[in-house]
Amino acid sequence: MSYSRDEVKQITDKVMNMCQADAVEVAFSGGERSATRFANSSITANLIENDQQVNITVYYGQKSASATTHQFDDASLKRTIEAVQALAKRRPDNPELMPPVKPPQEYLDVEAALPSAVNFGPGERAEMVRQSVEVCEKLGVLGAGYIPKFHWTEATANSEGLFSYFRYADASFILTCRTPDQTGSGWAGTTGVKDIGNIDARGLSEVAARKALQSRKPRAVEPGRYTVVLEPRPAARFLQLMLGSLDARAAEEGRSFMSGKERGETKIGQKVFGDNVTLRSHIGNPILRQSPVGEDGLAARDVTWIEKGVVKNLFYSRYWAERQKKAPTATTANMSLVMDGGTATVEEMIKTTKRGLLVSFFWYIRGVDPMTLLYTGMTRDGLFLIENGEIVGPVQNFRWNDGPAVGFNNISMLGAPVPMHTGEAYDNPGTALVPPMKIEDFTMTSISPAV
Amino acid sequence: MKRRDFVKTLSATGVALYASDLMGGLIAQSPQGRVLDSAYKGLSDVALAEAKRLGCTYADIRFTRNINDSVAVRDKIVVDSGGFGGAGLRTSAGFGVRVIHSGVWGFASSPIATEAEIRRITARASEVARASAVAKKFDVRLSPVDAYTDYWTVPVRVKPEDVSLDEKIQFLMQITEAALKQPDIIRVQAQIAFDHEWKYLATSEGSYLEQEIWRTAPGFTVTARKGGKVKSRTFTVAPKSAGYEVALDAKMLDNVERICAEAAEHCTAPPAGAGLKDIIMTPSHAMLTIHEIIAHPTELDRVVGFEANYAGTSFIKLEDVGKAVIGSKHLNVTCDRTLPGGMCTVGYDDDGVKSQEWPIIREGKLIDLQTNRETAHFMNQNFSRGCTFATSWRNFPFLRMPNLHVDAGPAGSPTPEQLIADTKDGILIDGRGSYSIDQQRYNGQFGGDAFWEIKDGKRTRMLSDVTYNAITTDFWNNLDAVTGKDSWEMFGTTGDAKGQPVQINHPSHGSPWMRIRRIMVGAAYS
Repeated sequence: MSYSRDEVKQITDKVMNMCQADAVEVAFSGGERSATRFANSSITANLIENDQQVNITVYYGQKSASATTHQFDDASLKRTIEAVQALAKRRPDNPELMPPVKPPQEYLDVEAALPSAVNFGPGERAEMVRQSVEVCEKLGVLGAGYIPKFHWTEATANSEGLFSYFRYADASFILTCRTPDQTGSGWAGTTGVKDIGNIDARGLSEVAARKALQSRKPRAVEPGRYTVVLEPRPAARFLQLMLGSLDARAAEEGRSFMSGKERGETKIGQKVFGDNVTLRSHIGNPILRQSPVGEDGLAARDVTWIEKGVVKNLFYSRYWAERQKKAPTATTANMSLVMDGGTATVEEMIKTTKRGLLVSFFWYIRGVDPMTLLYTGMTRDGLFLIENGEIVGPVQNFRWNDGPAVGFNNISMLGAPVPMHTGEAYDNPGTALVPPMKIEDFTMTSISPAV
Repeated sequence: MKRRDFVKTLSATGVALYASDLMGGLIAQSPQGRVLDSAYKGLSDVALAEAKRLGCTYADIRFTRNINDSVAVRDKIVVDSGGFGGAGLRTSAGFGVRVIHSGVWGFASSPIATEAEIRRITARASEVARASAVAKKFDVRLSPVDAYTDYWTVPVRVKPEDVSLDEKIQFLMQITEAALKQPDIIRVQAQIAFDHEWKYLATSEGSYLEQEIWRTAPGFTVTARKGGKVKSRTFTVAPKSAGYEVALDAKMLDNVERICAEAAEHCTAPPAGAGLKDIIMTPSHAMLTIHEIIAHPTELDRVVGFEANYAGTSFIKLEDVGKAVIGSKHLNVTCDRTLPGGMCTVGYDDDGVKSQEWPIIREGKLIDLQTNRETAHFMNQNFSRGCTFATSWRNFPFLRMPNLHVDAGPAGSPTPEQLIADTKDGILIDGRGSYSIDQQRYNGQFGGDAFWEIKDGKRTRMLSDVTYNAITTDFWNNLDAVTGKDSWEMFGTTGDAKGQPVQINHPSHGSPWMRIRRIMVGAAYS
């Protein structure tokens, strides 16, 4: 299903005309989510999900409520609107309620729905599986993978006359290869690709298969502090761990790593990471091509979050900005995120490491202490010991306890940023430009024989 | 009697439970309990006939409609906060068609439940399957299933939709107001999440099944700041397949003062330090440990590699069934999709298999796994345990865990007080906290929500900075005592994620209090 600007505007106009309230906001989303899965080198599931929904928010003074429906016939919309209007009137005043955003909002023009991704269908996905399995069979491993595709439209309209529209299409190819004896496992993938020509199923399959073969029969080495070379996927997961702390309200209320010494203070202006850590949201980035529409329909703009280790900005929601007499940030920290890189290759990082670990993947990362950004997680799908500048062999996986508060002060080398999803799953937008990185003194706490 | 005759307008929202959209309207027009007279019987037959015409060897169509409603109050302000399906009031209705063609699954879904769309979506599902066949190595093999025609529902004492919004807000407001009066509390949020799920499944095996489920999940969390430290504490209420009575019976207000005091005490509690300790797990804490290192590794699809790319595989091998010792003689584990109140309790799974109860671990030995129609043949079984489930109409159904419990000890087992009195150097852990496990479920690290030192048989003071590291089989082999059925409680989670695209399951996990001897604690902080 594809929704043009005019089609969506007709839907949102219809909803707004049917509502009787002081103010109305309608958020539309809809389109196609498709996916092909395979395991043991054979297709296991292939699906197409079509969906559409409007989330309707009505305002009566400081009262407000929202309701969602997936059905757009007049009767369904009418009943949903009646429900949300009744709900809003019964609610007590919300002192934190913000009125709808006023136009004009100047959105950057981002062309994010390229024909190759829009038309990427089950036949093309099955062909990628076939190519991948061919490589796996040639190299003697079993492939398990996932090829998700989105073709999605999002729009926001409100009774002030604001209307935003953003349509995007992208796909990913993610693969885990395992050896038949189950002693080796390797990962490779590319995510958030706008031009399907940039997915190299054969090449990625070669990488994952070779990693699986090279990681067979890992030996156990002692837990402790290691130099780690993080490939882009674990680097992206590690980066994501600090994004939640960039919320200004949590910081000023004393509930976050970015809180200052006293309640009400933050770490803005303080140097909390190393000189080589610069992080910004680059709206309109030609590779990421992500949404230019921010909170409640505000136009998103570039934001520098961290510059050379110094906290430059935190995210001020519309409410918190007004309360603190600041401008709202509009751009959330996960939008079009770019971490500056360096010039080193992964090979150079390995060559300059006396003793360390090459990490292919981080898994099951969960918070341990939010105030210090202490997290725990596992390595997975290819962990290799480096000694005197060379990979000397596979080692058993580690549980680690560490976090960006320490790790981002210990980055000794950075490579070129590549697009990589920052989330645990790959189902929502979340791809950022992330460099591979070498981090010193990373804390590995226990071994797992899991392969 | 037509359902529309007794459909009530919700006093809370003004929404009729069924008649708030087209699909709800069709439900309301259909006679409750007479599945073959439902409007959905005819719509289902459109899909089944079309699939047959297109050469599919199997087909099912599953209509679902979920009303997710959550009411939340944060610091005396009513907010939209997460529930079963997201914040606020969300109605989601539609259908999915699943077929096997050329030996391969195909699936397509749509929110528009008209005959024309059902035909189009059935054709899409068939096309998808045929397109996929170029990359298959084996055909899907389904275990046999009986055909059923049935209506099944959850017993509900107080339907959430019959309770006014004012009453729900007042209920939660009292909790937040009481909490904010307590010393050192800087934030509080109380919420009740509701899910009403209706589904109608028709299969080419001849089943027509209609089911209705209510789920309710209340709770509150306070945040304290004291001595420069910030800690949260959650009053854990067991979420259940049941109605508003879950909130009414939970004694939330009665526990505000205690929970706030524990949050504040936690801020200044001394670190536990690192070392070997005995731990005693309350059922609200054990829930997540059971979920992660018993329930997940005993999913057969993981064991045979279907989830290798995301959720992972399992340390259990097929040949371990009937042989492997997972834990001590105190470890008895039962899967149960029939127990009233369990959030995965249903009449039939999304394959149309009747719900059942079965043991998987007895006296520490692994004797069975969780299976569905697609995977049962890997165990040479010609029946399914009924573990297929999809989060919503839009999702492809696949193997999801049932309610899975650690059984209570036999008569004469210790009480929780006796368990504490019998422990010289230990830590009592309550509630859920940090949790992380490897992809084969060997190495887990768990925190909790609150911790108390046990010294010489007495609970002394709160501790902070507690995590424990569990190598699964070592951990359960160190299980040396469980309490009896009087202290057995069933908690659960509304956020069990698995699959690609990720889907959410809501399993319950019950347990007695359990003691694990000499386990490594505090390593995360050392």
